[in-house]
This record gives sequence, C-alpha cells and structure tokens, in this order.
Amino acid sequence: MTFTQECVIAVERERLWDFLMEVPRVASCVPGVEGVEAIDAKSYRGNLRVQIGPIRLSLHGTMTVDEQDRAAWRARMRAEANDRRVGGGIRARMSLTLAPGEGGTRLRIETDLAILGRIGEFGQPVIKKKADALLEEFAQNLGSKLGQGG
Amino acid sequence: MRAFEYAAPRTLDEALAVLREHGDEARVIAGGTALVTMMRQRLVSPGYLVSLRDIRGLDRIEADNGGIRIGALATHRDVETSPLVRERLPVLAETFRRVASVRIRNMATVGGALAHADPNQDPPVTLIALGARVEICGTDGRRALPVEEFFRDYYESALEPGEVVIGVVVPQLAPASGAAYVKFLPRTADDYATVAVAATVSVDPDGERCRAARIALGSVGVTPIRARGAEGLLAGQRFGAELLRGAGEAVKGAVDPLSDHRGSAAYKREMAGVMVGRALTRAWDAALVSARGTR
Repeated sequence: MTFTQECVIAVERERLWDFLMEVPRVASCVPGVEGVEAIDAKSYRGNLRVQIGPIRLSLHGTMTVDEQDRAAWRARMRAEANDRRVGGGIRARMSLTLAPGEGGTRLRIETDLAILGRIGEFGQPVIKKKADALLEEFAQNLGSKLGQGG
Repeated sequence: MRAFEYAAPRTLDEALAVLREHGDEARVIAGGTALVTMMRQRLVSPGYLVSLRDIRGLDRIEADNGGIRIGALATHRDVETSPLVRERLPVLAETFRRVASVRIRNMATVGGALAHADPNQDPPVTLIALGARVEICGTDGRRALPVEEFFRDYYESALEPGEVVIGVVVPQLAPASGAAYVKFLPRTADDYATVAVAATVSVDPDGERCRAARIALGSVGVTPIRARGAEGLLAGQRFGAELLRGAGEAVKGAVDPLSDHRGSAAYKREMAGVMVGRALTRAWDAALVSARGTR
C-alpha cells in the first residue's frame, strides 16, 4: 500500500534538513521508537512499539538511508522490521522531500508499505490511520525539539 | 498458543480482585469467540485468563422500566430467541439474529462483543440507535455510558484496566415509533456487514411528521458511528425522497470508512447513503403502524 502524508514544521528548511539527516536524533521524535543505534554510516537498527487495540507489536529491525540529496531536498530510505512473537513484519520504502511552506517547511513523506504475516490481516485497514496519528505526534515532537533550539 | 493460567471465580468481586492482581497480564474471557481466535493467531498472549462463566446471574435478560436489561453473559442466541426481547424490541432480536452463524451466536456473549470493540459488529449499531447504555463495573464501583461513547478507537473501548462490562440497558421505544436494522451483505450470509445501519423514527400522533430520529452505522469507521447531523435534518419533516436524499448526503459526510476486502472507502461511503434511506424507510413505516395502534 502506498500513501502520502504532509505536515508543516515551523523551522527553516536548512535546519530541518540537518536535523532529519541525523537518524538517532530524529528517531527520538518518533513515538514508540527506542534503542536506535548505528550499524554503519548508512544503516541503523532499533525497535518500534505500536499498539493496535489489544495487540501490542514490538517490531525489531533495520533502517537504511539510500539517498540524501540536499540539492533536491530529498532523501530516500527503507526499513525492515519483524515481530517475532506475533509472527509478521513490515517492509517500507519512504521518500522525504522538503519544500517551503506557510510558516515553515513542508515535509512530505511518501511511503510504500507492506505488512506481512498475521499482523497484516488484522492491522491492514487501520495502518493508514495509525500512520497519520504517528506523523502528527512526530511533527509535534519535532516542532518542540527544534523550537527549543534543537 | 502460549501457556496461560486460568481462573473461574464465582463472584464478580473475586473476578475484579484477580484482574487487579494480575494487571496487564490478565484478560477477561466470556464466550471466547474473539479472544481465543486472537490467542491462536498469537496476536495476543495473555498470561492469565479470568473467566466470567461461573458468575451467577450475569446472563439474565430482564424487564427494566419498560425496557430491557441484558446481562453481559447472555449469548447472542439468548437475545435472538428471548420472548421478552422479541415482544418489546423485535429489532434487537433481529439484529442479533444477523450475527455470524448460529454456532458463534451460541458462544459469543453480549458483554464480550462490546468489550472486543470491533467496529464491524451488528449489535452496537442497533443498541446506539435505541439509546442503550453499557454498565461497567470496576473495583472503584459502577458506571454507565451511552453505547456510542463506549467505543473509542479501532478495537478500543472506554474500559479502564480492571473494569468489566456487566450488562447493557435498552430503553423502550417511545410511543408512535419504529426501528429497523439493515445490513448490506454482498458476500456470504455469515459475514460482517459491508455497511450496516440502524434507525429509530418517532412520528407525530397523526403520523404526518417525524418528531425525532436516531441513526447509527457500523463498518464505516474505526468505531460504530452515530449520525447526529442526519438525525437533526429529520426532526419536524415529512417523509419523502428529498428528505431521504438529504439524510443520505449528511451520513456520507459523517462516515470515515476503511478500505478492505469488502470494498473501498469510497464504495462504502456511497452505500452508507443508500442504506440509511432504506433503514429510515423501514423505521418510518413501523412508526406509522405504531402510531395507528395508539390512536
């Protein structure tokens, strides 16, 4: 499934870009993400905890930055994570672009997401809504962190 | 399935104490139709199950101020076949009859289905249209909530940790009123609805105009939805195609369906408008019959 999300962060583009390219710091703004550490210059591993109704997922996996094009204000990354207990996982390709927006910078995220295994059947219909809620909180965290001088 | 401890207390107080003791690790089980399926799929793995089965009196269906009180442990089949429900609120018996298959209805309980908070279920839709309230019990006491306020998100209810659904109270229909439940079911008879609508309509004594209406929908959002905007359009109006179209449009604006194998969000939104018209037509017809009977 593919979807596009947008939000405006109240900081200038250069500053947002520099912040977004520092993965462990950005990760601290994503609700449910923990234990992020670098594997090498382009890859990281960590945990994402998500709750969908009574189901608690603990997705453990890696994220790789495939492209960082500051001239085009675009970055691409992919993530792979699995929940061993429930049996299933996610595969995601994401593309981030930054554009000038009203009162700050417009962050656009295009996601191509596959949900595998048992969690797919149950979670598929609400993934988009969960992703929207996640982005909203992420944008808030990002705004307050950068607002405080990052 | 992961191994778990099982407790079957004899009283509600005991059950609440066990829930408190085991906190997050414990889950309440009644009929088990939802929970056991999820446990087998390892979507949930509680360490402790607290069965309500041996608690006496929790399965009663009884008269309550002209309406009906249904205990949490009453099965769907109990409600479907209850002479009291069939006499006082036939629409409720009919709604429960539409749930899944008879094998599931024999096991699934009224309280368990509410606590499961699956937005695709049939009974919550009719319960909301009828103005029912959920009774909840915890160690700090009892409280009651309108059914529409009980559902908070996809499979999430207003139950706090340690709380249990103990019943649902359904008021009687006002005089000169009718109710209907329609389930759009294009696949198999035992499937969840693609779109479900329940409506109640009360008419003036002469049957000319709508006095009040309640409309609720299922399978068109992360929770069952009450369509207050559409309800407001009906009050004081005469029945007609124009009015139904207006209500349908209002409903389409109020729903927020999820795309799945039963249909796209756009398709379900359109069908919600259509099914509301059908539910209102049937409820209005029933209200006219009821108005004639009281004249």
